[in-house]
Amino acid sequence: MEFLLENILNLVGFLVGLAIGIMAYIGFRNTGSPTLFRLTIAFFSISLGFFVIWSGYMIEDFVIKSGAIERGIQTVGIVIQTVGYFFIAFSHSIKSFFPKSNYFRSVGILPFFLVSTVQLEHIFRSISFILLVYGAIETILSYRDNKNKGAISVAIGLALLAFGEFLGWYSFVFPESMLYSISMAIKIGGLIALFIPVSKIPLKRIKFDDDLDKI
Amino acid sequence: MGEYRTQMKIIGDILSTTQDDLQDENGATVTYLIRKANISHSRISTILKTLVSQGLLERGDSQGSNRYKISQSGREFLQAYKSFTKFADNFGLNI
Repeated sequence: MEFLLENILNLVGFLVGLAIGIMAYIGFRNTGSPTLFRLTIAFFSISLGFFVIWSGYMIEDFVIKSGAIERGIQTVGIVIQTVGYFFIAFSHSIKSFFPKSNYFRSVGILPFFLVSTVQLEHIFRSISFILLVYGAIETILSYRDNKNKGAISVAIGLALLAFGEFLGWYSFVFPESMLYSISMAIKIGGLIALFIPVSKIPLKRIKFDDDLDKI
Repeated sequence: MGEYRTQMKIIGDILSTTQDDLQDENGATVTYLIRKANISHSRISTILKTLVSQGLLERGDSQGSNRYKISQSGREFLQAYKSFTKFADNFGLNI
């Protein structure tokens, strides 16, 4: 059950991330907007992250057959996804997350060399959680200004991904419980909520025009 | 306090004016665009020059003054701009 849900989640994540990423890329090509460029990187990263984890499960299932996914692959996938969540949050001007002093910047990266991949996975899951919560709050706040109902759906999607990420992390405390399966079901719901408003954008008559790149 | 507008939003406003809100069929004057797009003369001059060089606007001459009309490329750009503004709005962002 957990394996099936994990596969569905990663495939849905890969496809949704890819679809939104392609849409953002078309927008960037047509308008040259830096915001759309950041969203392109964000969703291609999220898509790639899900794909890496899905590949890990497939390799484990058909080649290695050890009964558990290679921890390193899972961690790499989560790190790539975190990069994507960072760019979503960054688009909302997330500047206060960085320490100002060069000393703290250099020391900040040190812990990553001192911990195992399991601990790294926990660290990146918590960073993802913070970034997703930040993105959800900023998106719902934007609804006050533009009254765009799609923003509610995206905010719910980001919030569900955050909650799923939290439950996924918390399930390490109760490894035999249903928490991890529930977390995956919630994340699938979050990805679908993200995709609903984006799927309604009409793109049929938009075409690439190289002359518009320079504007 | 006025709402902050990105360069893209200003371009969108100028193109929208030249498409939907023209004074007459000869095109819009710079003064009219300044008033409609709410932008300074020096800034709009640079933007208009860029838009004309990119083929999004066409410059004509009528009654001794420059007039600007949207081109076919400009219409396509404006359509893309409107679609992707909605796309970015869904994420609570401005393009």
